[in-house]
Amino acid sequence: MNSLTTKKLKKSLVSTEFFVLVLIVLLAVFIEMQSGLFFTNNNLVDLLRSMIVPSIFALCAYLGFISTGPDVSFPLIAALSSYIATQFVVITGFQGSIAIVFLVAIAVGLVLGSINGFIIAKYNFPSLIVTLGTSTIFSGILLGAFEASRMELPATMADFGRQSLLAVTNAKAGIGSSLPMTFLIFVGLYIIVYFVLNHTMAGRGVFAVGGDETSAERAGFNVKLIRFGVFTVSGAIAAIAGVCYTVESLYYLPTEFAGEEMIVIAAVILGGTRLMGGVGTLKGTILGTLLITIVTNSLILVGIPVYWQKFFIGAIIIIGTAISVIQSHNLFKSKKSKDSKGLQNSEVVINETAQKQ
Amino acid sequence: MKLLKNNSLSLNQLDGNTARLLTMFVAIFLVASLTKPDMFLSSGNFQSMSKQLVEYGLLSLGVGIAMISGGIDLSVVYIANLSAIVTGMVMKALVLTAVGPELLLFILIAVLAGVLTGFLCGAFNGFLISKLHIPAMLATLGTMQLYMGIAIIISGGSTVSGIPRVFSQLISNSYLFGIPLSFFIYLFVVGFIIFIMSKTKFGMRVFLIGTNARAAAFSGIKINNVLIKTYILSGLLASLAGILSLARLSSAKADFGSSYIMQTILIVVLGGINPNGGYGTIRGIFLATITVQVISSFLNMFPEISNYYRDLIWGVAVIGVLIVNFSANKKTTAKLAKATAN
Repeated sequence: MNSLTTKKLKKSLVSTEFFVLVLIVLLAVFIEMQSGLFFTNNNLVDLLRSMIVPSIFALCAYLGFISTGPDVSFPLIAALSSYIATQFVVITGFQGSIAIVFLVAIAVGLVLGSINGFIIAKYNFPSLIVTLGTSTIFSGILLGAFEASRMELPATMADFGRQSLLAVTNAKAGIGSSLPMTFLIFVGLYIIVYFVLNHTMAGRGVFAVGGDETSAERAGFNVKLIRFGVFTVSGAIAAIAGVCYTVESLYYLPTEFAGEEMIVIAAVILGGTRLMGGVGTLKGTILGTLLITIVTNSLILVGIPVYWQKFFIGAIIIIGTAISVIQSHNLFKSKKSKDSKGLQNSEVVINETAQKQ
Repeated sequence: MKLLKNNSLSLNQLDGNTARLLTMFVAIFLVASLTKPDMFLSSGNFQSMSKQLVEYGLLSLGVGIAMISGGIDLSVVYIANLSAIVTGMVMKALVLTAVGPELLLFILIAVLAGVLTGFLCGAFNGFLISKLHIPAMLATLGTMQLYMGIAIIISGGSTVSGIPRVFSQLISNSYLFGIPLSFFIYLFVVGFIIFIMSKTKFGMRVFLIGTNARAAAFSGIKINNVLIKTYILSGLLASLAGILSLARLSSAKADFGSSYIMQTILIVVLGGINPNGGYGTIRGIFLATITVQVISSFLNMFPEISNYYRDLIWGVAVIGVLIVNFSANKKTTAKLAKATAN
């Protein structure tokens, strides 16, 4: 039983991702058969394009989940920090590199994220309630104090948004799609986060803290510092996503961000990230995001009315979480669950280990 | 208020919270009466306050019970909307041809359909949380989308309106001693929930599960059963809120009142319910509801304050209250530890 757990754990994670991959392929084939429009060059580029921002957001949700719990404040951190960055360009008439604009947003994101991190790490409050609270505060600041409204981007930012890595035209339909430069940022961020999480002590600490706080502390990790760090960094990543979204849409749209968190969380959970911390992969996160993007982007191609979207997303969250929970429940038995079923299972485990000894 | 106060099943620290709440309520009431006497102290203002607080007051009760059990119910607002839409649509379908006593019967059927919706939604939440072990936050985050989705689908995404006038007149525009009927319904429900949570076995079990689910399981409590009932109760309260809002607005829509989610959590946390479960009182939620309504009405009297600032205030209040309660609890624990050491 003991030797099985690690193997089984790996296996189940592989299978979650595999399951999502199969689902993606099936969905793609189904849409292709129904509409014949899925495997066209412009649809595929469109999919990649619409994946960029959700995937970066997914990093925030992912980091929250593996270290602490749900984080719902990243859309508003994105909205507020990209607003300040845009205003910075508008007011100062800044002409220089787009990197500086990103740095301004990142600085704001770090500050906002550190507020989350401070409250969550210091007081150990549930991260959902804290981030719900801070996101209403950020929304109040953005729409109340700053009176942010839709605005056109200054030339520096708009030019960056118009640059494209790759442009394709569908010969048949005559529709063109292009992949913006932000795609590179998305790829870069994933590589950095992958490296930090898997090849540095701090990264291992993030998983350790999420897996079992007490053990992590005894192993010498500074639990509070790691949590604070994760939420601060997550704020910076959200800010990057915010600027990416703004330059992609060529306008600053303050109200377009809120609500994004649900879809992103659904994607991350679908990708096999465990709800109570410690387990989850970036591969799964990308696959989950791809699946959700296909669902939201392509329902129209198959002729399903847009107003079914919420229903599908809700159903996917529930099914995805249920699968993830049932899997982790079978693996971890009583470790986290507080209920009678968990107890019964743990007794079984204890009995079995006792027999082996 | 004094009557309610006797109804305590609480520990020392909770009385501290109630005292803080009462002080806060009195202070804000005084400030409002002194700065805007003619507007705030008018009977019209009290009538509209007592009408407005009913809906989110009921929603907060549901969220509060879920939080006492160690979970949370984020889907209440959308259960309310779905119930309101179901009630409205059944009413429209049946009532068009009816007159007289038949009409009342049909209205009753429609209301029952709405209540049934709340029951089913709550039961589904409870099923996901207890049987499938999905953490309450995520389960209700998912069902929130799901119920909104269902509401959009059955209403076609548009506002359900044109419900019979009798219904809204009956519930929303009838007064007893100048107090709206809906407020009496609310008071009755508060009394009922206080009774359930403090005087029945079920209430005791909910507290026990919230404090320590494992200990509760060992003492023979059927956790799944209690949790499902908890979320059904929350769903029923939400459907009641939805039906009352249908009567007040004469219409229902899938995405009404999405800002209520934050407000209900604020009220529950302000009311002294521990977000980790196990502690808190219903009278605390009641007091917090009135306090929030007074603040909200007071803010309304300053047209120059943008609505968005209210979000800011609620957000700061939630986190501020959490921190104050945290430090207050820490102090009491420290005191207790000292006392036992001596």
